[in-house]
Amino acid sequence: MVNLIRNEWMKIMHRPGTYVMAGLLILAVIGSTVITLFINSSGGTEDAAWQQQLQAENEQIKMTIETGENDFYVPSAEGALAINEYRLDNDIAPNDRDSMWTYLENISFLIAIVGLFAIITASGIVAGEFSWGTIKLLMIRPIARWKILLSKLLTVASFGIVFIGILIALSMLLGVIFFDGGSAVHLTYANGAVEEGNIVPYLLKIYLYNSIDVILLTMMAFMISAVFRNSSLAIGISLFLYFVGGSATAFIAAYYDWAKYSLFANTNLALYEMGMPVVEGMTMTFSVIMILIYLSLFIVLAFTVFTKRDIAA
Amino acid sequence: MTQQSIVQLRNVTKTIGGKTIINRVSFDVYGGEVFGFLGPNGAGKTTTIRMIVGLMKLTDGDVLIEGKSIKSDFEGAVKQVGAIVENPEMYKFLSGYKNLLHYARMYKGISREKIDEVVKLVGLENRINDKVKTYSLGMRQRLGIAQSLLHDPKVLILDEPTNGLDPAGIREIRDYIRRLARERGMAVIVSSHLLSEMEMMCDRIGIIQKGKLIDVQSMHDFVSTKGELFNLLVENPQEARTKVLEHNPSWTVEVLEQSLVINMTKEDIPALVRFCVASNIDVYGISPATKTLEDRFLEVTAEEGVASNG
Repeated sequence: MVNLIRNEWMKIMHRPGTYVMAGLLILAVIGSTVITLFINSSGGTEDAAWQQQLQAENEQIKMTIETGENDFYVPSAEGALAINEYRLDNDIAPNDRDSMWTYLENISFLIAIVGLFAIITASGIVAGEFSWGTIKLLMIRPIARWKILLSKLLTVASFGIVFIGILIALSMLLGVIFFDGGSAVHLTYANGAVEEGNIVPYLLKIYLYNSIDVILLTMMAFMISAVFRNSSLAIGISLFLYFVGGSATAFIAAYYDWAKYSLFANTNLALYEMGMPVVEGMTMTFSVIMILIYLSLFIVLAFTVFTKRDIAA
Repeated sequence: MTQQSIVQLRNVTKTIGGKTIINRVSFDVYGGEVFGFLGPNGAGKTTTIRMIVGLMKLTDGDVLIEGKSIKSDFEGAVKQVGAIVENPEMYKFLSGYKNLLHYARMYKGISREKIDEVVKLVGLENRINDKVKTYSLGMRQRLGIAQSLLHDPKVLILDEPTNGLDPAGIREIRDYIRRLARERGMAVIVSSHLLSEMEMMCDRIGIIQKGKLIDVQSMHDFVSTKGELFNLLVENPQEARTKVLEHNPSWTVEVLEQSLVINMTKEDIPALVRFCVASNIDVYGISPATKTLEDRFLEVTAEEGVASNG
């Protein structure tokens, strides 16, 4: 299996597309950093006294809770209020936008770019062998088909991890150089009490939450690639769903309850922390189960079709 | 030739969408021989080859390689097979060496020395570190053969091995294939539509048509019919034919352009010449005529075609 994965990496590393993708990711990180720095430097008068800001914010939150304005979610407002008060009482300044932690949290949106590249790689890794015609020479080796497919899946996974690694390593480096240390204390509100914690696990959670739809769609691209043996189809469908799936689901969810069974209604686990599920009544457990069902469905489809079907191309 | 059956096809059948593509094909290929697989386009050559190497599943029947079933022991069976299926398609963005390394990693215990040895064998030492996209078709064909020999297989399956080669290349590959069969006792299965090529390369041939194996014969038996054929170049073939038939009514005599094709033995020639002189038939030449594989192939497939069309 190690040899098979080395083979796949050899094929990835010898194609210019890989370097273009890595280069674009690096450019995107640098670009967003420059833009962040530029915006931060252009309007920086308000950071005089964070205590006053927080007090003003609290006044506002209290008013909203009292008036019950719109659909404002009360528990999260209470949480924000409690955390702000805790900060004032214990003299813990919130991380402002010049802090490295805020920067690291914000730059997690670039996981979408990693996702884009992972989908492209997953789409090509099986279908490519068919379009190059090399699948015939690949499959006449004394290695079961499922092992070959598994090695390709693991290669896509490691590709995603390497690219996330590039993203995190580079943004941490830039963060240390260009941003303030800030405070590594992260406050959470649970069961009516504020707790102090480290910010690193919190950031990891943000990155993980942001990765879920990427993982699912990459798996879907891989499945389409293995089942239909066509990389354009895999890229097309997966990217289309990647870009419109979320908003389409949100739109459907406003009218129909069954939207909660769709893939995209369940990929944003952060919504549960904010207390606003896509469809009323959905829980974190439900979504995790749905995610696992979709993942196994894609894996089972990819492996059964790939090992059963004749290679006639 | 060691008469040990290495590849055995037993009633191999393939049905796709209710249509029988390959119908109960059975044959054996022995160690040390080159077996030619012939058939018109669409007869099922490639499908059969794909089933032998496990790219396509068998609907019925079995393929045994050194006694191991491709159905129940895929890994054990295919371990002994080296193949090029259709064109030798390689990873164009990798060097020739990396392509070989890629396939070598898929077997147990293939050393770098072994790769170098195979590269030398096919004569690609000078270009092996260049990317495959810079290779000519002939070089790709050789790299394909190198790839199929990495693991010292007992069976070599080559689909159109001389496709796209220049005459020198064709000869080189042909000699090479024959040598592998002779010296290493490999069973080589070759398919080609170049009949003259097959005639020079193969020991035995199997002819497949419309998914059925219609004939398996040694090349020698297949090409030469019973007795021998001679061409008699004469002035007036039609008239001469009648006279020759009077001389010996048991011969079959056909008119082919300016000559008669007579089914007789070498010993009959002096008497025939004397007869012609005596009967005033002007003879311009006598030469032995063998049917080419092409003639025979077209003959056999045409017979079958007529038979199966009713």
